[in-house]
Amino acid sequence: MKVYAPDGAVGPSAASLAPPVPVLAGKRIGILDNSKPNAGLLLGRMAERLAARTGAGVEVVERKNAALPAPDDVLARLAEAEVVLTGSAD
Amino acid sequence: MTDLSEMLEVASDDPETLRDCFAVRGWGDGLPLVPPTPERVDAMLAGCGGDPEEVVAALPPRSGIATRRIIAINAVLAGCRPEHMSVLVAAVRALARPEVNLRGVNATTHPVAPLLVVHGEVARTAGYNSGLGAFGPGNLANASTGRALRLILLHVAGAVPGAGDASTQGGPAKYAYCVAENLAESPWGGYAASVGVDGPSAVTVHCGEAPHNFHDMESDQPAAILDKAASVMASLGSNNAPVSGAEFFVMLCPEHAAACAAAGWTRGNMASYLHERARMRTGDLREAFALRAWAPWQETFGDDAGMPITEHPDNIRIVVVGGPGKHSSVIPSWGMTRSATVPVEPERREGTEP
Repeated sequence: MKVYAPDGAVGPSAASLAPPVPVLAGKRIGILDNSKPNAGLLLGRMAERLAARTGAGVEVVERKNAALPAPDDVLARLAEAEVVLTGSAD
Repeated sequence: MTDLSEMLEVASDDPETLRDCFAVRGWGDGLPLVPPTPERVDAMLAGCGGDPEEVVAALPPRSGIATRRIIAINAVLAGCRPEHMSVLVAAVRALARPEVNLRGVNATTHPVAPLLVVHGEVARTAGYNSGLGAFGPGNLANASTGRALRLILLHVAGAVPGAGDASTQGGPAKYAYCVAENLAESPWGGYAASVGVDGPSAVTVHCGEAPHNFHDMESDQPAAILDKAASVMASLGSNNAPVSGAEFFVMLCPEHAAACAAAGWTRGNMASYLHERARMRTGDLREAFALRAWAPWQETFGDDAGMPITEHPDNIRIVVVGGPGKHSSVIPSWGMTRSATVPVEPERREGTEP
């Protein structure tokens, strides 16, 4: 018996990751804190250590609601950084 | 028109075989499934007409393309009848509205599920239950349409527990969550018209928790009845307490609705009253939630001030549902979502304008 598959095609992704930055020395690191518990602390420490090891600088720190897309003004400020750390769950 | 859907070969046409065959691929909701053969899917598509390959929506997080055919396939799997297709197509359109924030609804750890409320003529003609036991069980239209919408979320949107749905405990409303508005016993007319969606039939999607009951067996006074609703709304358990000021749907049974209407109360009066009464002491909220995402105005409240559980009376939506008795319910929102009401399109026939 033939039946249809129920999932259908996948459309284009709404966004894609930027290509990796091969050398961080002199680059600007941004942080997007998604407001999950300790996200700012975790991302901040990671950024500090990354900066200390590579010679990058932590220059942009933004915060957003965990469940909503980041507002345009937040994204515009983060665009000043070459690398952005984000994403933390409960 | 070209049929773009993938076909599978299944050894037998019994529902359990199909369920097991699908489960290997990560599909299904755990229950036996009706095989979506080309004949059944064609019959289902005839329920709404139009081009089967028309893209109704792309659903996150998978970015799955919900064509009319894919919707019909899932409708067959769930046990729908063709007369339910126009409701499902409208429901998928509503889910894809940006204010619904379906990506967040599907991905959160909260047990949120989209409640589908069917309004108007189609509720009657397609056999939806708006009366006794409307939330279930026992009615084919409510059960199968609600289940089909969940199957679309699982298969097309990718809201599979673990991979695309992080709900900590899940919830029974994630199997099937569909009800019809009791228009015949709504003293204030239909809900859809009250939010500016006119026409014979419509659907509302409200992404919320399962219904929370309240009862009042003894009063014919709106304030006494609605105080019970306010008590259910003003809960530390609601996402609105720490992180949002979002909607509540108050599903009034016909007897509570009649009592409120007999005293001259409108939907707006009830929403204003509930906004005023559904409050908690601000200091208690501060003590309960060190981690909170309040609006700036909320932080200005002194500890003894009453904090409204939702930011505006317009966030309190009143719909009449159910049959005899004096039980009503409150359906809190997940928070970071807004309900959407869209018209149900009439069936399209070939050669006719949409």
